Amino acid sequence: MREFLSTARSRLRRAAGRDAGSDGDAERADGDGDSALATDGGTAEAGADVAPAGGTDGLLDRLDDRFGEDFTESAPFWLPPFLLVGLFVYGAIAWNFVISLTEYKGFVGPDYSDLDLDMYVRAVGDSAVIDATVNTFVLVVAFTIVALVIGMLLAILVDQKIRFENTFRTIYLLPMSLSFVVTAQFWLWMYNFNNGVVNIALGAFGIGPVDWIGNPQIVLWAVVFALVWQFSGYTMVVYLAGLRAIPTEHYEAAKVDGASTAKMYWRVIVPQLKGSTISAAIVLMVFALKAFDFLYSLVSGYRPPNGADILATKMVREAYSTNNWAYASAIAIVLFLMALSIIGPYLYYEYDKGNL
Amino acid sequence: MTDTNTTRRDVLKGAGGLGAAGLTGLAGCTGGGGGEGGGSVEVLHGWTGGDGETAADALTEAFNEEYPDTGLDMNPIGGGGNENLDAVVANRLQNDDPPSTFANWPGPNLARYEGVLGDVSDLWEEAGFTDSHVQEAVDLHQYDGTFRAVPLGSHRLNCLFYNTSVVEEAGVDPDSLDSVSALVDALETVSTETDAVPMTHGASGTWTTTQLFGVTLLGTAGYDGYMNFVEGSPSRDDVQAAFESLATIFESYINDDAASIGLTESNQNIIDGNAAFIHQGNWAAGAYRNAEDFEYESDWGFKAFPGTEGMYTLHFDSFLFPANNPTPENTRTWLEFVGGEAAQVAFNQYKGSIPTRTDVDMSEFGPFLQETAEDFADADRRPPNIQHGLGITADQRSSLNDVISGEFSGPYDVEAATDGFVDAVSS
Repeated sequence: MREFLSTARSRLRRAAGRDAGSDGDAERADGDGDSALATDGGTAEAGADVAPAGGTDGLLDRLDDRFGEDFTESAPFWLPPFLLVGLFVYGAIAWNFVISLTEYKGFVGPDYSDLDLDMYVRAVGDSAVIDATVNTFVLVVAFTIVALVIGMLLAILVDQKIRFENTFRTIYLLPMSLSFVVTAQFWLWMYNFNNGVVNIALGAFGIGPVDWIGNPQIVLWAVVFALVWQFSGYTMVVYLAGLRAIPTEHYEAAKVDGASTAKMYWRVIVPQLKGSTISAAIVLMVFALKAFDFLYSLVSGYRPPNGADILATKMVREAYSTNNWAYASAIAIVLFLMALSIIGPYLYYEYDKGNL
Repeated sequence: MTDTNTTRRDVLKGAGGLGAAGLTGLAGCTGGGGGEGGGSVEVLHGWTGGDGETAADALTEAFNEEYPDTGLDMNPIGGGGNENLDAVVANRLQNDDPPSTFANWPGPNLARYEGVLGDVSDLWEEAGFTDSHVQEAVDLHQYDGTFRAVPLGSHRLNCLFYNTSVVEEAGVDPDSLDSVSALVDALETVSTETDAVPMTHGASGTWTTTQLFGVTLLGTAGYDGYMNFVEGSPSRDDVQAAFESLATIFESYINDDAASIGLTESNQNIIDGNAAFIHQGNWAAGAYRNAEDFEYESDWGFKAFPGTEGMYTLHFDSFLFPANNPTPENTRTWLEFVGGEAAQVAFNQYKGSIPTRTDVDMSEFGPFLQETAEDFADADRRPPNIQHGLGITADQRSSLNDVISGEFSGPYDVEAATDGFVDAVSS
């Protein structure tokens, strides 16, 4: 905490001392530092105030002691959403987990008296589920890494004070505004074996034609590529914001020390983009887990091309084409754990930094 | 410092208050809705575009004319084949909020709705449906000895359509093809004599391939071999032979882009003269009727799938009767209407299917459907299909499609696909 305070202060000083062309930037940095100071100071003070009052009786007071001075006072504001979210989000997850322990199938209600892990055992032994898990994992990891790299390169290029900067930014960001349904149809046409633009373009260099959708070894990468096309613009915007926050002195200092452009970015600039990278990566991974929409639109059905089946499509197929509710719930829990394993470390990281 | 503190808290309070208000509002919404109870028959179906929509409109009109006092609430749910419809129906049945009736396939497919379908046996008796419909309809609309549904129409599945000018250019006479191997020879001729694709196939979904397997098995193994497969005691050799024929066709004679196109684009290849043959249910003919300057016999032709002459692979579009029905009496009125002549004529002539009754005057139908109806009446055998619910259960169908997706969507592994299919249906 103390470290954080001192970095905030030094950041503030830097921002104030900077003669940067944009006043807005300096002001914003100013505001940042201020509120950070206020927050930390406030909490520390509050803690100090509360400590001596600890001995007073009454449940409300004790609750306040335990959870902070305005715990009960603020309850009318946070309690209703807390309960609703608890019921409809976490309650639903818990219920889904309970269903996954039953043998629920068809339309005659589940039998809650006999709970076991049969469905998970079945999932572990089901090669289709294992394939889907591997595909989901590959999709998430490959898509995130490639989208980050491309987004960063684009951001660095767009950040070079080029002409038509805004136009380029818009062009790169535009695919993100399209829905998965539209982009899936786009790419389905572009990947067509005979008259798709991808094969025509490759044909000009004497490559192909490649069966993008029909070849089980390739189709997942084709999907990853299409998703990267859609989301690298978003990554670019996140990185642009990160780049703008880096003071020009850092560039100048690196230049003065004789660093080449590549070295300057690699050693000085990119390491400072850690925060942007993490927040962009989280959003991208969550989008990758939602690739269901894309695959559904690609084939207008729950059954993606061979080699591109992911847990989400497998889950919906089990639920709605064969009404194996319990099995589908078990697959949903597996998917949920995967999502949690992505979000969990991030939340801990933020908590550790004192941002939560 | 106190200033900023207050501001921050104010913002938090405001946000908390807004969130609470919003969520309470939402919670309020979930309580409402549902429970119409006015007695209108709520009909869920999936006919939302093209032929289907026209046919559903004609059906609505005919019902309102015949029963002006009975409310009708047609609720079309399109998309993804019938996947979206099935999902909505599944959710509503699960929540014990069934519609009055919904469109689906009868036969073993009824097993997936076990425990939630009602009994309409008395309706079949009273309306005389057991006598007026073909025997297969009578058999397939029962589950556990009780009638659960009423048929509206039937599509034919063992169809081979062709573009007349392409087959003429190749010098092939489609009517002479009487076995699957004769078909393969004809495909070879088309591929050497013309630039057209011998057989167009849209495999972006697996169902087209499963369906093609069905007719190929019927064509190679004959009625008895096919029925053994459907009834759960398949001969491995029969299944393997069918897959070998399919592999030959897929490896050499279909369009290169099969994996990235669906039925609509595939069928367009026939209309545009880019392909010679296509196998599909006779719903494919709807696209030919709607295409300009593309007439039956002069531009496109029909032939029973080679080896299945004299047979009619059955498909039914039916309305199922959920138990715990919100409008039991009016739903019965609807079902009685659906199984009657007026409804079957109004609907099927636009849908491109034929009535399941044997006593219908076909004069309002086009020449192609008239011929289909004759074939239907004269057929020696009417085997149930495997991809559209009549031959096998939904679970088995799903397993077959898993096998097609994993083993037979290129590269084509005959051994693995054969094992998968035999395992999936063996009882």
